[in-house]
Amino acid sequence: MSDIPKADELFTSIDYAPPITGWMETPVDFSPGNWCYPAKPEKMEYMDSKLPGLWGKAREWSPGDLDWKLPANWKETVVNGFRERLDKFRSLKVFMDICVRCGACADKCHFFIGSGDPKNMPVLRAELMRSVYRGEFTLAGKIMSKLTGSRVMEEDVLKEWFIYFYQCTQCRRCSLFCPYGIDTAEMTMMARELMHLVGLNTNWIMEPVANCNITGNHLGIQPHAFKDIVDFMVDDIEEITGRRVKAPLNEHGHDILFITPSGDVFADPGIYTFMGYLMLFDYLDLDYTLSTYASEGGNFGSFTNNEVMKKLNAKMYHEANRLGCKWILGGECGHMWRVVHQYMDTMNGDTQGPQMTTPTSPITGTVFDTSAATKMLHITEFTSDLIKHNKLKLDPSRNDHLRVTFHDSCNPARGMGLLEEPRHVIRSVCNNFFEMPESTIREQTFCCAGGAGLNTEEILEIRLRGGLPRGNALKYVQDKHDVNTMACICAIDRATLIPLADYWAPGVIITGVHEMVANALVFEEGEKRTLDMRLEPLPGFEDEEDDWTPPNKEDA
Amino acid sequence: MTFESILAERTAELSEKWAGLVLQTYPRETQKIWGRQKDRFDNPVGVTIIEATRELFPSLLEWDDAEKISKSLDKLIRIRAVQDFSPSQAISFVFLLKKLLRDEFFKPMKKEGTLEDLLRFEAKIDNLAMMAFDIYSKSRELIYRMRVDEVKRAQHNLLKKAKMIVDVTVEESTD
Repeated sequence: MSDIPKADELFTSIDYAPPITGWMETPVDFSPGNWCYPAKPEKMEYMDSKLPGLWGKAREWSPGDLDWKLPANWKETVVNGFRERLDKFRSLKVFMDICVRCGACADKCHFFIGSGDPKNMPVLRAELMRSVYRGEFTLAGKIMSKLTGSRVMEEDVLKEWFIYFYQCTQCRRCSLFCPYGIDTAEMTMMARELMHLVGLNTNWIMEPVANCNITGNHLGIQPHAFKDIVDFMVDDIEEITGRRVKAPLNEHGHDILFITPSGDVFADPGIYTFMGYLMLFDYLDLDYTLSTYASEGGNFGSFTNNEVMKKLNAKMYHEANRLGCKWILGGECGHMWRVVHQYMDTMNGDTQGPQMTTPTSPITGTVFDTSAATKMLHITEFTSDLIKHNKLKLDPSRNDHLRVTFHDSCNPARGMGLLEEPRHVIRSVCNNFFEMPESTIREQTFCCAGGAGLNTEEILEIRLRGGLPRGNALKYVQDKHDVNTMACICAIDRATLIPLADYWAPGVIITGVHEMVANALVFEEGEKRTLDMRLEPLPGFEDEEDDWTPPNKEDA
Repeated sequence: MTFESILAERTAELSEKWAGLVLQTYPRETQKIWGRQKDRFDNPVGVTIIEATRELFPSLLEWDDAEKISKSLDKLIRIRAVQDFSPSQAISFVFLLKKLLRDEFFKPMKKEGTLEDLLRFEAKIDNLAMMAFDIYSKSRELIYRMRVDEVKRAQHNLLKKAKMIVDVTVEESTD
């Protein structure tokens, strides 16, 4: 939000016409709320000790200050880094050259749709970088700067990058509509890499990166505490179902390594989805283990530079090799699947151990050829296959109080084409499912506005306006079909969609798909449940003998 | 003929003009796109501006249903409360109606000596502004609350582990 205007500004006029300058001349607002907090210096020092030369100098700084304490040679570093990447990544060079500014992408970005800020039009966001490309690297741009819309790298330009390349969630909706298939997400990735070189970074990304590197999960929880937390959930499952499920951790000699985002272990409501995994695997008596070393499926490195992305991703195969696992089953996560599907094989495929094989369901015998390259299978593909082969006893009526819609998370939807499997699972575990409008789901899904490292509370307003297109579609099905639940298959979604729904469609709760699977899963013939996964009375199945009301609910 | 009935005859035209003024509070490139795109899912802000002004204008004439007016105001304010506006800019769209009516009616009504009808009507717009202020504040308070809740949720299991959250159960309850 902007600062409150001074009294004399209010006094003179209530003419609120916006600036009529062109975008290049329109100044950027650096007041708080427009940027994420920079990374703590000690995190950057740590990262620099592990992967030197990628991070600039660690220091205290704030985007709200005039002086960002950039290194003296920052311009040279950025321009040289840009040149190096143009040579290294052919796609970047092509994306810089081929845009004809047709404008097909202009109104496709959720941040533009919600904010109306022209610099959030993908074509303009890319132009922030392209103008520098022309000004620094093309002859025409160097000679005729105004005419070709070119500029050289200046401090103001770099600062503008910092604001706007952290208002892109790399969701790739714009590239779906680009006739040339220009991938703005990859440009954002490059811009962020370049900014990292001179020490421009955000804490919400860098602290998890450091933690994932040290301990394996984004909060830096150590293995023994991690185990305690998993045990809590095992206790809760026992209270709900009467069954004490297994939760094997760091065990050698199992066929399958299961990796999910660590947010599911710590954060509400992801924990209920995690409990769902534990229950499903126990029901199947699956030969699997969890790991603390590779306990973060989500790759925070992918929001920084390709070197860290590779390093964090490598932990998955390392751990599979160390524990002797044949293949990896992956949980409900967003960017984890973009990295797995698009980059993992190239980055780390050669580190797969000889024991690794194409994922094969031990229950149905299905061989998942589409995962042959990475040896990693998505949990909804696994579960959908189980349901198709009638291997799960399900009572969807336990979810009858839920009227459900499904938010396609950008990365699984656009990054790997996973559209039908989650829907098949949802339709099998609940009786009331309603799609949001066609132009807001599947490949065209609107982003949650919290991806790519933006899910932090200091920019909640930016997230909320970016979340308007999704919230607007959600409100539509809430009004039309009384939808009260939005399911998703991403841990960032499970966190960020809660305020989004509370603001744009109050009354809609957020759930993971496997939380609903867990509710519907019948462990044994005649099994009775009175509680849902959140330990709340299951409507229609309440325990009639239990008339006790918790003291804090007495007035409700 | 009362001023209200003159306005009633021109409802469609005037609410459209009002919407046009609200749209002009956004950058020029944005106005072009939002003015053109009519799909409510591709262009929620543009469509909401049109919807809200179209609903508010007749409600203002009838002036008998505060809840209905609040609902229409809420639609638009909820959006402007999270856009890059200062609080006064966010609710300025109410005063743009005042500007519109003055542009359209001030001179002729002054000539006819009926200016006080316009001023009387403007009191309603002032009331609308006060309602807008309440709704804006409510939206902002909701955002502050959500910020706190978000932090709590992210640490749920850690707080539990640190025994900062303790579940109450029948066996353990002391009362």
